Amino acid sequence: MLKNLKKLLLAGLIGLSGSISAAQAEVTVEFWHSFDGSGGEALGKIIENFQAANPDIRIDAQFIGNYNDIVTKLQAAIPARRAPDAVIMEVTRYGLFADRGVLMDLTEKVNADPLKDDLFDFAREVGVFEGKNYIVPFNSSTPVLYYNKEIFERAGFAEEPALKTYDDLLAVSKQITEKLGDEGITGIAAPGQFARWGLIMDNDSDLIDSKTGEILIDSPNTIEAYEWMASLVHEHKVASADGVTKENNGRDAFLASKVGIMLNSTGNYGRSKKALGDNLAVRPMPCNKVCAVPIGGAGIGILSSADKETQDAAYKFISFAASPESNAIWFAGTGYMPINKHTAEQPLAAAAVQDKPGITVAIDQLDFARGRPRPPVVTWMRATEYDMWEAMALGQREPAETLKDFADRTRKEAERTN
Amino acid sequence: MLSRLTPYFLVLPLISFIAVFTYIPIASSLNLSFREWDFLSPTMPLVGVENYRLLFSSHEFWNSLKVTAIFALVSVPIRLGLALLVASYLVREVLPSRILRGALFLPSVTSTVSIAVVFSWLFATDYGMINAFLQTLGLGKVPWLQDPQLALGVLIIVNTWKQLGYDIVIYIAGLQAIPQELYDAAAVDGGRKGRVFRRVTVPLVMPTTYFLLVVSVIEAFQVFTVVDIMTKGGPAGATDMLVNMLYRIGFTLFDIGQGSALAVVLFALLTALALFKARVLGRRVHYEA
Repeated sequence: MLKNLKKLLLAGLIGLSGSISAAQAEVTVEFWHSFDGSGGEALGKIIENFQAANPDIRIDAQFIGNYNDIVTKLQAAIPARRAPDAVIMEVTRYGLFADRGVLMDLTEKVNADPLKDDLFDFAREVGVFEGKNYIVPFNSSTPVLYYNKEIFERAGFAEEPALKTYDDLLAVSKQITEKLGDEGITGIAAPGQFARWGLIMDNDSDLIDSKTGEILIDSPNTIEAYEWMASLVHEHKVASADGVTKENNGRDAFLASKVGIMLNSTGNYGRSKKALGDNLAVRPMPCNKVCAVPIGGAGIGILSSADKETQDAAYKFISFAASPESNAIWFAGTGYMPINKHTAEQPLAAAAVQDKPGITVAIDQLDFARGRPRPPVVTWMRATEYDMWEAMALGQREPAETLKDFADRTRKEAERTN
Repeated sequence: MLSRLTPYFLVLPLISFIAVFTYIPIASSLNLSFREWDFLSPTMPLVGVENYRLLFSSHEFWNSLKVTAIFALVSVPIRLGLALLVASYLVREVLPSRILRGALFLPSVTSTVSIAVVFSWLFATDYGMINAFLQTLGLGKVPWLQDPQLALGVLIIVNTWKQLGYDIVIYIAGLQAIPQELYDAAAVDGGRKGRVFRRVTVPLVMPTTYFLLVVSVIEAFQVFTVVDIMTKGGPAGATDMLVNMLYRIGFTLFDIGQGSALAVVLFALLTALALFKARVLGRRVHYEA
């Protein structure tokens, strides 16, 4: 009896020491991201594949909310020493964190990684701030024009109308609202911030010059673009004000077939296709004065506060997430653009191009895609722009006066923060 | 000696708890309000009263103060008046009263986020149920959350709906403490219902009113969740209450110094209001029948 007990005790001790050494061998990377729905599913699959290939690394992926939520939570977590090891950061808003030394300088790691040569130029560029690499691209996007074919047909468009200029979009939106307004259908969704930036670029302007850092918020072409966007809601009433006070309301209304046109990130392709099926059409953004679209999306950065072993494990993961295999899963599942030159060779990506019409529109726009600025003041500017847009779109303030005031405040803030 | 110290030992755990979660953060806010910090920089240079100067010279601060004061001045009397009225009908211990009390209390224990999301849908201009109902009556759509004249009113309605149940329950407890003999005596003297309510009920329920007034004014000055979910302070600052502004400055615009200065101002304001209420109203409160 005593012998058996000793044996059991010994076996238990061996088992315990084995599990302790296994637990010690495993590195856990706490990773904050902003993907739910189809994006969450695709990311889950990538993590599953990574963990299968790297059994000693565990990715503790946590959905935090949208890009704004991540910035807010991260800044509160840093002084509390509860920051994650890796985090998704939107391409225009990581500059502040890089500037303050919160994000690890990945230049050496990226230079030593064969992945560097596989990334498209536009994708590699989004990770560089002041000559150093701080994030590795994961989800890249441009805004595109989505429309609902059935709504177009019912509004009397037997053939696809021209959708090239501001005037074209307004004319189509007016016709839809006039014909189907009684059913609660409006012509166009009030553009969200990413689409607004795209429409400003289409008007041959920008908010901040990405090369010189000059504030262009009050330049004539930017004012003209905002005047037109605000008129959709306030003057012509072809876009619902609900989408102004809550950006996602416009997108949700489009998914519910209550809106004819939506200008939004290509990252919305997956959910739009799921909601509208064959009624979904995707076209390039308009070219009002010039053809230009902003590059958006996010990349994964590593926190300087993580220990070296965790940083190494985290880099292994973000490099894996940008590989052709992972990027194909991501592209096919969400509609975000491929960032890896070899993604298209993957059967999954090839099948998506074949079966999902419109998924390649964003890629086609890359010829005239523009990078966006990312100095520290951009975080402030983007947060403040929502209030400015709301005031203009709801007709409470004149665009010219609002943008002059906004530009002055942004210049002052740039002096303070940069 | 030991017996003299015993009470202090007994309250020590609670005092420690309050110190850690209240007094230290207040002191920390006060310290940060004289510094420049963005949560990320390793240094926090002293800037003197610059944060207060910037705050008091900003249009946004005075707008927020005005909006918060309007919210408190309108919502608190509505809440207390309605609650007393409803409580006086539900004070009797009969089954329907008990069921109604439970139903009215339910919003108080429901998540504010859920309530705000549901009301956002209800009040949506083009896709909301309230406007859909108005349209069936042949009326036009009302931009509830987009019109600066209406948005604050909507928030007052939502906040009143959420808090009313709590006020009613507290009032019922206060009303039940009023001796029945006083009502009997008033009835013998031929007092009418309205007069009895004014002359007996209202004065004797004053301690409860005073308590609810203090609590609801503080609560009105600290409203945040409903604003954050439903309007984010808009349109054009029409619902930008002080705590919403504080959150925006600190957690969206990364200016912890100015955010802390606003927190200190809010604290001073609430303390001053509490002292004012104690001085002016406290004297009129009668705790004995």
